[in-house]
Amino acid sequence: MWAYEKKLEYPVNIKNSNPALAKVIISQLGGPHGELGASMRYLSQRYSMPYGEVRGVLTDVGTEELAHLEMVSAILYQLTKDMSIEDIKRSGFDTYFVDHTSSIYPQFASGNPFSAETFAVTGDVIADLTEDLAAEQKARVSYDNLLRLVDDPDVRDPLKFLRQREIVHFQRFGEALRITQDKLDSKNFYAFNPAFDKCPKNKKKK
Amino acid sequence: MNNKNVLLKRLKICDFVLTETALYLDTHPEDKDALDYYNKHLNMRNETLDEYTRKYGTILRDKPQSEDKWDWVDNPWPWESEWSEK
Repeated sequence: MWAYEKKLEYPVNIKNSNPALAKVIISQLGGPHGELGASMRYLSQRYSMPYGEVRGVLTDVGTEELAHLEMVSAILYQLTKDMSIEDIKRSGFDTYFVDHTSSIYPQFASGNPFSAETFAVTGDVIADLTEDLAAEQKARVSYDNLLRLVDDPDVRDPLKFLRQREIVHFQRFGEALRITQDKLDSKNFYAFNPAFDKCPKNKKKK
Repeated sequence: MNNKNVLLKRLKICDFVLTETALYLDTHPEDKDALDYYNKHLNMRNETLDEYTRKYGTILRDKPQSEDKWDWVDNPWPWESEWSEK
């Protein structure tokens, strides 16, 4: 089960509202490489992982992604806190404002709502961990691109922290994949799926 | 029921009482009786958690059983039936 801690993982203190930035940063909330998809991916995948270390990484990274969801939400909240109607019109935030006012809704920067189609849970240990490595790199790219668009140091600072966490998670998933492969047949990692082929009846016919 | 499952059941009961009472307190933050009820079960829960952790392993990552061993990754995990039988 889960418990909430009433604090952010890393501070967010933005002095100037900027709805134009919120319009693009929202992709890291509910976009294709966003924190909501990340947490749901890892927390869903852990049930088919046979190895404790991998279950631990997926549980702990998946939980940290929920803290990142909160950080991105805090960034969006502070960027849209003191907007005037003129700011909203000028920044292009009007297309979001019409449905959500200044609340936090998980969607892509392009406006598509969050979709579970942005992640996969295959039930195959190697396929899932390889997806996780790619997911961390894709999230890192999105933070890189946001840092190209953002000048305000108050916004850059938490974005840099979040980008750095993607790199650390990539490292841990790489180790999880190595731990997994060490437990498999080094001549053929794909000989069987340790998450499913435990039952003798399900052994692949060779 | 073995001692492990007795402790686990007590922990789950305390946790549920805390969950339920916290929800009530969210909408009745001035209710002193509810606050006392919450604190009584919070103490019971913390004592139970400490005893369970000491005897059977880590439940909360920031209250580990040992400073010398990372048992967080040990199988089984809570979604497996073996977890409450190990």
